[in-house]
Amino acid sequence: MMMKLAGLASVLLCLLLISGGAGGSDHDETVPYLRTGGFNVPVLAGWENQSTDEIAQFHLAEHSATIRTAIVALDDPLAASQAELANWIDAGSVSPVYSGKVNLADGTWHVAIFEPDADISVSIMARRVGERTVVISFIERDESNRILMLTMAQEDESQRRAHTELVAATDLLMSPLAGEHGRVSEIKLSSGAWALYPGAGHTRMGMVFGNDSFLALAKGPIGVKLATLADAYFTVLLGFFITPDNSGYLALGLAAAFVTLGLLVFSYFWRARSLDQDAALIRHLARADD
Amino acid sequence: MMTPFLACVLAIIAKDLRAEFRSRELLSVMALFALLSVLVFSFALELDREARAEAVSGVLWVTLIFASLLGLNRSLAQESDQGNLDALLLAPVSRSAIFAGKFAGNALFTGAVGLALLPLMTVLYNINMVAPGVIVTTVVGTVGLCSIGTLLATMTAQTRAREALLPIALLPVALPFLLTAVRATKGALNGAPEWQVWLQLLAGITVIYVVLCLLLYGYVVEE
Amino acid sequence: MPKHVELDASPQPTLLRALTLLTGLGFLATLYLGLFVAGTDIQQGEIQRIFYIHMPSFFGAFTAFGATVVGGMLYLARKQAAWDRIALAGAEVGLAFALINLLTGAVWARPIWNTWWTWDPRLTSAAVMCLIYAAYLMLRAGIDDSNQKRNFMSVYGIFAFVSVLTTLFIIRIVPETIHPVIVGASPQNAQGSFEATSGVFMALAPSMLLWLTLMPATLIWHRYRLETRREALERLKFQALGD
Repeated sequence: MMMKLAGLASVLLCLLLISGGAGGSDHDETVPYLRTGGFNVPVLAGWENQSTDEIAQFHLAEHSATIRTAIVALDDPLAASQAELANWIDAGSVSPVYSGKVNLADGTWHVAIFEPDADISVSIMARRVGERTVVISFIERDESNRILMLTMAQEDESQRRAHTELVAATDLLMSPLAGEHGRVSEIKLSSGAWALYPGAGHTRMGMVFGNDSFLALAKGPIGVKLATLADAYFTVLLGFFITPDNSGYLALGLAAAFVTLGLLVFSYFWRARSLDQDAALIRHLARADD
Repeated sequence: MMTPFLACVLAIIAKDLRAEFRSRELLSVMALFALLSVLVFSFALELDREARAEAVSGVLWVTLIFASLLGLNRSLAQESDQGNLDALLLAPVSRSAIFAGKFAGNALFTGAVGLALLPLMTVLYNINMVAPGVIVTTVVGTVGLCSIGTLLATMTAQTRAREALLPIALLPVALPFLLTAVRATKGALNGAPEWQVWLQLLAGITVIYVVLCLLLYGYVVEE
Repeated sequence: MPKHVELDASPQPTLLRALTLLTGLGFLATLYLGLFVAGTDIQQGEIQRIFYIHMPSFFGAFTAFGATVVGGMLYLARKQAAWDRIALAGAEVGLAFALINLLTGAVWARPIWNTWWTWDPRLTSAAVMCLIYAAYLMLRAGIDDSNQKRNFMSVYGIFAFVSVLTTLFIIRIVPETIHPVIVGASPQNAQGSFEATSGVFMALAPSMLLWLTLMPATLIWHRYRLETRREALERLKFQALGD
């Protein structure tokens, strides 16, 4: 008898060991994230963090550049972009020198570039979220430079380089400086693999992600600076996400757990009560006997 | 060499075969049910050729499980109704031998039905089921299914509502067989190489269940 | 004439009262830790907190089903009805826990996987587990003779546990699951995994401990006492009717 049970126990134990065997653990390194104002953006290493409870803002004094993310209570992306622009210049309503639309994985982003003065250029991408708008701005104040960031849908989706869009954007935004570019070099940044087109008059960078071209344009031969700034801006843009609001599901899940557990406990009381009734019946029968 | 264990197993198999040869009660019911089930599935799935090809291994195993339920119910009900089981228990043989005998008998009948289904389904579904891989899977799966089936049928045969209880008891516990057997059959039909892994799993589970049944059968026929 | 004492419920032992209180407080405390102390997961949002019940409830079910198989084996060895009562209580409590596991998992999957249910190997094996123990309880209700019932159910409890293990074991061999593994290596295609940080473990560890030990122990004990009383009253009822 005991032999049988011991045999049984060892069979069960073997099964338990087999089914419980899990592999070792290996965790990826994750990018540190900043949570503020109901959204999340990656923290930019080496940048001064000027974020508040409402907005995420990183500043790099060396290149006098700022990247700011905010959710504005306006449902028109252009109006929201202009509202954000008002943080940087005193002038009233300024029209963008370029505006466009692009569909990224998380929705439609409106691109707008403002150049209100010679010493400031602001590149903005904005996306509607319900009644509000997310605005991610890149502000650069340097008289000797003009640095612009934008995203365009690819004209030919089979292209692996953003060349066509770069030419188009340069013609549109940098025409006085247009000229032949030098040797194209590939650089790997945390936001992706970029192609750098250096030139005497201007420097351009392009990256293809999905079916869209991500572009950065600058006046002058400033490759390293442009790479740093473009990488930072598009890291924020691509890394931006809003934590989904699913507290309703949490409530539903908790309710399901409580109801199940409650039914079990309630059934204990219920069955105890029916046992009390049985006891009363037996007492009655016994008394009737006497 | 003829040990008492083996002698007992063979005697029980011989008894079941003789009884079946005289009455043809078990095999005819199982075979008719299997035929009907395959035909019903064939009508139900006829519209879609693709679905039919995909579903064929599922049809085979669902049919086999329900056919085995019928057979097991009858086989063990006969024993307990006619007092056979009590007589067997009085005999000086081990409970494991009684189990092995009944189990072998049931596996023989269910296996015969299963193997007979293969050419039938080849004709009805236009897929070659008479392939070595499918045959081996059918045999192994039937053996596993009948091991736990014989044990549970012995249990339910001694209760009041046995016809209703056997499916409830057997189907959930048979799911590991169903999962592996369907995958192995499907793989063998498609020529997917991983079907052997499923067959090995099926064989492993079968061995575990047969060993457990041999160990535990004594407790379910205890007075 | 049956004795008066046996008719009424015996008073709860002090240890059981203490255990019940501790379990209740522990349940509230782990709920507080999971809902208010642990941070919100930035990827998944608030729904991730369901995990502090989802995973522990699975392990709680495992403990309870363990009680069923151990109780069954000891009943077969010793033929003491007490072991069978533990086995029954384990199956009932375990089924409730496994249902909680399934329900919370489905509610989590809806916003994260965009579906309530999918026939993923891991989900399939959890559903099979529930079915087997539901069958255990139905089969038990269908057997009249109490000694026969105890024997049969002890055997069935062992097979039920083996089925649970084999189903889990099959699933280990099939790596095609999309269910995330939080502790240990996550499959490459897991969807909805999140980084287990210190805040998560602070909320998870007490909850795991509670569901692994106190929750099943307390509930099984209460159910055990209920069954003891039911059996005693059943006997007395037949006696009284027989007289």
